[in-house]
Amino acid sequence: MIQWNAELARRLACREEEKRGIAPLIRRFMELDRRTRSEGFQALESEIPAADDPLLAVGLRLVMEGLSGEILEDILATYLLAEERTGWPFLRACVIVEGLMSLAEADDPAIMARKLVAYYGADRALGVLEELEKEAPMARAATTAKESVRAQEEA
Amino acid sequence: MISSLASLPLARWTSIKVSRQKKDALFEIAARIESVAERARSESGRALSLASKAERRKPLRRGLELLAGGADAEGLERGLSEMRLAAESDPGAILELRLTLAGLGGILAGEHPYVLMRRMTAHLGAEYFEKTSKYLLSRLKRRRPHTDTLVVPGDMPDLIRSLALDPRNLERAVHAAGRDISAAILAGCPQESLNLVKPLYGKIGGASLEDDASQLRGRLSGDEISQAQAAFGDLVRSLEERGEIVLGSEDDLATDPAFIAEFTRIVLALDERTIKEAFRQTSGGVIAVAMQGMQPVAHERILGVLSKRDERRILDAIDDSNPLQRTAIRAAGSELAVQLLAAASRSGTSSKETIARLERLRDWED
Repeated sequence: MIQWNAELARRLACREEEKRGIAPLIRRFMELDRRTRSEGFQALESEIPAADDPLLAVGLRLVMEGLSGEILEDILATYLLAEERTGWPFLRACVIVEGLMSLAEADDPAIMARKLVAYYGADRALGVLEELEKEAPMARAATTAKESVRAQEEA
Repeated sequence: MISSLASLPLARWTSIKVSRQKKDALFEIAARIESVAERARSESGRALSLASKAERRKPLRRGLELLAGGADAEGLERGLSEMRLAAESDPGAILELRLTLAGLGGILAGEHPYVLMRRMTAHLGAEYFEKTSKYLLSRLKRRRPHTDTLVVPGDMPDLIRSLALDPRNLERAVHAAGRDISAAILAGCPQESLNLVKPLYGKIGGASLEDDASQLRGRLSGDEISQAQAAFGDLVRSLEERGEIVLGSEDDLATDPAFIAEFTRIVLALDERTIKEAFRQTSGGVIAVAMQGMQPVAHERILGVLSKRDERRILDAIDDSNPLQRTAIRAAGSELAVQLLAAASRSGTSSKETIARLERLRDWED
């Protein structure tokens, strides 16, 4: 059942132009997903210094420790509520938590994208999803190229 | 995520601001709860009762009494609700109650103490994450090794070994299964299987997974472990059907018996000086892999002639090595044969026959 919470709705409210900032975040998570598929979850360690949000840095470590599902969700929600975020910062934090949970579940990047575009709202989600799917083959090709260079170096 | 936040009561949406000093004090309370949780896993209710008598903080003392008395999650919440009313005007007291409830609720749910610590310190904010990591790593150093084993008959150790041929496959499978199922399947596997899975979760996650697997040995029946293992087998098959993982065949795992026999004979025929020199020139990793292609008698011969330092280096590399495909073992064997040939030629003590056999080993093909 879909639950409704007035406080949640209030916190999530933000301007349309602010929502555009979600797309780079989704791309980043899809790239992290591809990376864990090719190099394993411990490779996330090198992504932590570049994490521009403490919630993302903390979450990546928890995912590396093997936490997932309800426990991961509870812990990340506690971190999220320990700070006073409203509007765009709150929406961004929700996308980060959803992305981390999808990463921990070892979701396929296409499934992950579908979970994350929902934060755009029904009117824009499909359009953004189409854009991401057009980019996906190029991103896959880039990952494959990186993998073959790495394999050659190892050989 | 949204559903989890949507179910939160309004009171939980308020972030609580307290001083650094208060947060440090709350961290100490969290550490005490973690320590009690650790003892409660082995001593059960007695540890809770003893801890409640020694505890000075009122909410924690009351909570421990309730747990020792057999309260469930609802009883715990109800039992501490009086204190919640009294704490309404004191942010520090509210945060202490939230943290205490999170920890004690986790003990009730049978969560690992390290997970509890992560759960509790999340209330203090991201700035306490590293402090928590340091605390947990220090606890790891004092951890007692598990000596209990329970191997449930079946092909799970072989399946894990086969998945580990490419650690990405094993990782994908255990993450897709989730931590609880992974701990349950490992509860019925030998230590070798655990050693393959643990590094995928890092130091803290690996240690807690091992503890959980050990604990489940006492809690789950053989049938329950078998059921978890069967579910994991189904999951692996579905991942394979979807092309997400590729399983190695039995053939990939089994090293060529002729190669093993020949390598073992040569190692036994070589003199000490040649072995020492060749092993000094070869990396620990290559030796560890190559030694998977020899019989134990050859291992004894090698370790018997090496210095203590070299022996330690090689044993460490063996501990860190995963099972490998026969081609990888043959390649490492070939690399070691090159070094043995060079050392044998320099010493001039090996027979022509031994040299010829080393050359065959160097160029070995299945």
